[in-house]
Amino acid sequence: MGKRVLLADDDQLLASLLNFRLKKGGYEVHHSLNGKEVKEYLKTEMPDIIVSDIMMPYFSGIELIDYVRNELKSNTPIIIISSAGNEQNVLSAFELGANDFITKPVSPTELLVRVAREINKK
Amino acid sequence: MSITKTAGLLDQLSQLERSVSDFSFEELSVNEAKELKNSFNSFKSSLERQIYSPNQNSDSLKKEPLMVFDKQEVSQKEFITHVSHEIRTPLSSIIGFANLLKEERLTTSQQKKVEAIQFASNTLLKLINEVLDYSKISSGNTSFESIDFKLHSLLNDVMFLCETLLVDSKVELIIDIDKSVPQVIKGDPSKLSQIILNLVGNSIKFVNGGFIKLDVIVKEVNENNYVLEFSVSDTGIGISKEKINSIFERYSQADNDTYIKYGGTGLGLSITKEIIEKQNGEIEISSVVGKGTTVSFTLPFSKGDLNNLPIEKTNDFDIKEAKKLLEGTEIMVFEDNLMNQHLILEQLTKWGCNVYTNVTLKKGLNILAAKKVDLILMDLKMPNLDGFEMSKVIRSNENPIISKTPIVAFSADFTEQDGKDCESIGINDFLLKPYTLNDLMSIIISNKRENTPTDEFKSILQKQMIEPKETTVIDLNSLLDDCFGELEMLNELIKLFKTNVLEFMGNVRIHLKTDNLVEIAFSAHKLKASFAMLKAKGMRNLIVELEANCKANEPDKVKELYELFLNDYPLLENNLNIDLEKLNKK
Repeated sequence: MGKRVLLADDDQLLASLLNFRLKKGGYEVHHSLNGKEVKEYLKTEMPDIIVSDIMMPYFSGIELIDYVRNELKSNTPIIIISSAGNEQNVLSAFELGANDFITKPVSPTELLVRVAREINKK
Repeated sequence: MSITKTAGLLDQLSQLERSVSDFSFEELSVNEAKELKNSFNSFKSSLERQIYSPNQNSDSLKKEPLMVFDKQEVSQKEFITHVSHEIRTPLSSIIGFANLLKEERLTTSQQKKVEAIQFASNTLLKLINEVLDYSKISSGNTSFESIDFKLHSLLNDVMFLCETLLVDSKVELIIDIDKSVPQVIKGDPSKLSQIILNLVGNSIKFVNGGFIKLDVIVKEVNENNYVLEFSVSDTGIGISKEKINSIFERYSQADNDTYIKYGGTGLGLSITKEIIEKQNGEIEISSVVGKGTTVSFTLPFSKGDLNNLPIEKTNDFDIKEAKKLLEGTEIMVFEDNLMNQHLILEQLTKWGCNVYTNVTLKKGLNILAAKKVDLILMDLKMPNLDGFEMSKVIRSNENPIISKTPIVAFSADFTEQDGKDCESIGINDFLLKPYTLNDLMSIIISNKRENTPTDEFKSILQKQMIEPKETTVIDLNSLLDDCFGELEMLNELIKLFKTNVLEFMGNVRIHLKTDNLVEIAFSAHKLKASFAMLKAKGMRNLIVELEANCKANEPDKVKELYELFLNDYPLLENNLNIDLEKLNKK
């Protein structure tokens, strides 16, 4: 069984590419398009790593970190995808317990390296 | 002959002037717009100086222009030789800056105006080329082209240009082409547009309110030959019966008062008549004072072939290739006209060349010794410097690195003697001003140092190379790499990309109605990543700017940028489809 990745991103295009590359890298991927779906999923499952966009409708990446760390009390590594120029968001993400971040435009290769590193730390 | 041509030139010039001033009314901070206007003014004043007072510097002859030359037929050639240089140099700036301006980010209406400037200045250039064609003048013949062209789009272009002349006027321009008129015909499109411009331009002068109408019908059909009838009717001041007979005579305007009130040289109609009759056409005029005038003319055309139409579309792949060949090329430019210097510097830099301008010969030689310059562009006829002399000095230098540098000469006129001189000095090639970007690019590529043109180069050079708009450029290669070369995945992603764009457009449309800039900003923010994935830098920047203007609460700016987006995105998607198809075929 490959490690399970929860990919939360409302951009179908970017998510499809990342999904494709993660699967090629041997991961099992669950993709959610918005924060609501993410919350539903996390009620029953806990992946090995979460990759999430910061800006999402209904439930932002920041809220997601808060939910995982403080409500679910889980230490699952979280990698945040942020846009250039949103440094403030990245700082809040780290304060709340994000493990790493990657800036758009996302290089899938770089993301895979970061995902592998977080999983190996465990 | 040359006198009527010169007057035709004046007519075209006033048309160009109106579209240039119209354009500069727009509050453009763009430098090119200002320079375009400057070029135009210097062009106009040099032309006027030459025409109205060839031997004097005063304006005292303005009242009776051109007659001077009628009495001095002998000096025609001399006159033409004299004006040639002064007219072509600033005109090349107008064309050049209009080209540069077109690459700027413009709204649709600004873009249309730049196109009108291009259309008018190209028409003008054609005319000037004819005036300067000595052989045609001395033999008294005007040659006519016979090429296939789309009649409807030509008439629309001409009428658009006429519309720009009507800025403040309450006149309606109507065009009515009968259904039986063929779409593609064979004949001389530039002469036809000149005739219609003259006639409609004339009507515009004499109409205050009401309409000007162009009707086109088929008068006769005979197998593959058509006689078309064009009528320009207006609701203008009309012409009295007494005056109507002399209306086609040279220099005759209905009366002196008309001249004072409406201006103009009165030459337009006589030229028009001459051009029509030389093509075996006929022209008629009917008029009622106070009601209006109708000028009808017939011209024969033969049936056109859609397959013979000149290819207009450019292929940006080839430009990319050509640009690769120019990247890092060291070019030294000897040109003392500051406007042209600026123009050539901007263009060459855009192509990735390293350019040295504004150098003296001494400084130039030092640079040539220190750096391996790939090409020298040398203006042959500079007022204060002699390009021939400078080329000689370079060629006779002891240092082979200096003396072997390829030299391409350029000038606004070029005589047989100049050709011989170039050859004896060892100048490699020659470019006549004004030149197109395509001319400039191919002459540099084929002459620059250590160049062995392959067949691939040559095929690139044969194609038109106009810079693609930055906002329409994409590159799929890195995305394909990210897909590990799997085309199926790439195609899937492109589909999603297009969906994202459609979603964005839908969102903007909804939220623009309520000026909900927060939502638009969010949509724009999301779309940035999509363009980044396609390496569509220019379009991504536009979206970034749009997002920034949403945040700055500038709804008008947002609307303007969105209009630009709507204008350029189809071109981008077209490029995308072409590139994707190429990859899929591989």
